[in-house]
Amino acid sequence: MASNNALSTTDAGRAAASPGIRELESLGVNVKRVEKPTQEKEAQQILAKAHREKLTVFSCGGGTALGSGVLPEKVDIALDTTGMDRVLAFDGNNLNIAVLGGMTLDAINQFLADQGKGFFLPLDPPLPNRATIGGVYAANGSGPLRLRYGVVRDQALGVRGADARGEEIGFGGKTVKNVSGYDLTKFLVGSGGSLCLITSISFRVYPLPEAASLCDIGFGTVEELEKFLAALRASVLVPSAVVAEPAGARFRALTGFEGHPQAVERQNKDLLALAGKFGGAGDARTGRNAMVEGLRAAVNPDGATQGGLALKITVPIAAGARALAAAGKLCKDNNVAGKAALYAGNGVVVLYAAAEGGAASRLIAGAKGVGQSAGGYTAPIRAHRTVLSGWGARVDPALHRFVLQPIKEKLDPSGVFPPIV
Amino acid sequence: MEKERIRGSLQRIVGGQNVLWNDVDLAVYEYDAGLGRGKPELVVFAHDADQVAQIVKLLYQEGISYVARGSGTNLSGGTVPAKGGVVIELSRMDRILEIDLENERALVEPGVYNLTLQNALAPKGYYYAPDPASQKVSSMGGNLGENAGGPHCLKYGVTSNHILGAEVVFPNGEKIWVGSKAADQPGPDVIGLLVGSEGTLGIATKILVRLMRAPERVVTMLAIFKSVEAAGQTVSDIISEGIIPATLEIMDNLVIRAVEESVHAGYPTDAEAVLIIELDGVTEGMDEQAKRILEICEKNGVVSSRRAKDATERAELWAGRRGAFGAVARLRPAYLVCDGTVPRTKLPEALVAVKRIAEKYKLSIGNVFHAGDGNLHPLILFDDRDHAELERVHKAGSEILKVCADLGGTISGEHGIGTEKLVEMSLVFRESDIETMRGIKAALDPKGLCNPGKLIPAPAGTAKAATA
Repeated sequence: MASNNALSTTDAGRAAASPGIRELESLGVNVKRVEKPTQEKEAQQILAKAHREKLTVFSCGGGTALGSGVLPEKVDIALDTTGMDRVLAFDGNNLNIAVLGGMTLDAINQFLADQGKGFFLPLDPPLPNRATIGGVYAANGSGPLRLRYGVVRDQALGVRGADARGEEIGFGGKTVKNVSGYDLTKFLVGSGGSLCLITSISFRVYPLPEAASLCDIGFGTVEELEKFLAALRASVLVPSAVVAEPAGARFRALTGFEGHPQAVERQNKDLLALAGKFGGAGDARTGRNAMVEGLRAAVNPDGATQGGLALKITVPIAAGARALAAAGKLCKDNNVAGKAALYAGNGVVVLYAAAEGGAASRLIAGAKGVGQSAGGYTAPIRAHRTVLSGWGARVDPALHRFVLQPIKEKLDPSGVFPPIV
Repeated sequence: MEKERIRGSLQRIVGGQNVLWNDVDLAVYEYDAGLGRGKPELVVFAHDADQVAQIVKLLYQEGISYVARGSGTNLSGGTVPAKGGVVIELSRMDRILEIDLENERALVEPGVYNLTLQNALAPKGYYYAPDPASQKVSSMGGNLGENAGGPHCLKYGVTSNHILGAEVVFPNGEKIWVGSKAADQPGPDVIGLLVGSEGTLGIATKILVRLMRAPERVVTMLAIFKSVEAAGQTVSDIISEGIIPATLEIMDNLVIRAVEESVHAGYPTDAEAVLIIELDGVTEGMDEQAKRILEICEKNGVVSSRRAKDATERAELWAGRRGAFGAVARLRPAYLVCDGTVPRTKLPEALVAVKRIAEKYKLSIGNVFHAGDGNLHPLILFDDRDHAELERVHKAGSEILKVCADLGGTISGEHGIGTEKLVEMSLVFRESDIETMRGIKAALDPKGLCNPGKLIPAPAGTAKAATA
């Protein structure tokens, strides 16, 4: 059974639990007991015991994207992963790292920055100071750097955890190329803890770039923004990230470049000239901190929307600017404080709103319309369980019935883990 | 199988002339580019997704196994009908359905050749990144099934990083779209599971891929080394320096000589190893990066180096690399392509081990590999009429894979498990890992009809090949 570090249902246990567990409860999930393992073996043992005693288990890290999975009404054991927060192995020469699932993204990137010439893991979903790597993996979290580097599925090399019986399982490894058996490392991304418990993950990492910049450009209308983004995609410029956001009645585009100093400088210049053709004007700031912090501020919730409803709307790339404008309008029309950002080049809009109850439901209905009308998806990132219970199908019902649910029943026949989307 | 009755049913779906049943016709479908053999009872040519769905539904009801096949370039037995049954031929589903530059996507049928898609995109200034050496003939459906790689995967990733969706006929005959032009379908990454599943979980009938803008500039260099180990060390040093080129490819002397005899790529035949290095991206800074790479080459004792002056010279350098497997086929009647990966710093160690294994089993082994990915392709040459030699080949191949696993790598980088590496799966997976894979297979293919006998080894204690 778990070591002395494992917590139980005592008040002390709950008090020591991470903000993620408190977030889980605040979203309407009745937590009977909290366990906080510090090692993978402990987590496996907790699961094995849960299996024997027919208990349900919900794993939880920083709690920044709990709505991306299915929130049950009650869980017997909330497994707080934030005690598992160490680097297991780092190999700078082969550009990979293995970390326990409870480590936050900021902690991982701080560790990497301190190694040798400096490295980084290009995963930058909102709230990286709280988001644990296991949670980001389970929720398929992403940020603006996905434009250049891809998402979790593109960076994860291997994964280790425990199946519904508490048996250790692992897939993938340390090499980028690997077609040995089914690619469970990819399949489990976005599974929301519904198929197994993730305890550690290995990723490819990158050397810190020699130079970086952030171009900050304002546009008067969504049409100007849209034309600029299309021209940027068709150009030979290679941005690492492009984020667009409403700025009052106007729009703002933040474009990050990384690489050789000469390449960054030339691209800054070309980008500003390109923007000028579509009525855009702005400037370029140099340095990686400027880039990272600028992008982070654009995609994080602000003071008014933190702790409210958070949604992700994905549309085909060319429809991104219109989806962003539509998301902003939804908040105005429903008279709620909101904040939206587009990962341009990927067609992903994150929408935060200080909305509850009926306003939240109306906003969700509107956001679903934005996604559906463009042939995309709308998915929750953060929402109260009662709101989520009325969400309806998140994926094509045929995909759920003939693919996802049969796999769920095979891998978790007794329902230890939460339901699959 | 009641062959006559099933043949009639299939002919009603696809037309009389689209079903093969006599022994001579079937013989062509007994093999792929690997060493395994298996004879189908019928071959059926499908022309669209609806026909595939009807065929699969029929075979599901009848309890008959099947394997989908494109060009048959698979190197691990993945397209061989190991359990007989029906081959569903997809090579006539070869249309590029849509090129959507605005959204950087293309929709293709599974029988489209990889190079056909590239050729359609190039004039528009775009490309599809995965570029397996077999791209002239390997089909996109096969690329999906095997998670094909290629030289440019070092920087841009393999097939699974570039396939965003697919229309799939699952083993019960249901035709379902997975993914879309929009990113991040909620829930588990089903397309990530299907890519590389070797056709054991369903048949892709339409494939949605990511397109990339062609780079502003490409620089291709050839460096000659005194030893394969020195070339391997150079690769490791380049990456450690923080430079990630588009490609880093190595060939050893045996392969160089074979390539020169057949392709005339301009490689020096007395070189022990050549390293092809390609950089791409924006123009500024690239010359400086090339200079730094050459300094690393010099540190590792490079004999000489040159840079392709123009597109023609660049194409020549690549023709040699892409023609390597075919060129080697001229040396002996047959060859086995091994496919393992190691962490790239372990490349020199792995190459020494391959040399030792060649000596141990008295075999000729050439080396051509995606060095930047640590993906080795030792080519074991032999005469398949010599059964004793064939046995040594299998033992040597298995030992090379064990070396890769022991060095922290794996048993397949891009050719798959198929029938050839089932035994070696235990080198990299626990029984509980494989049991999870069996669970997925059983969930989607409860009758075990979809390309049975591949990828998943049989449970311990059972004699027959696994179908989960």
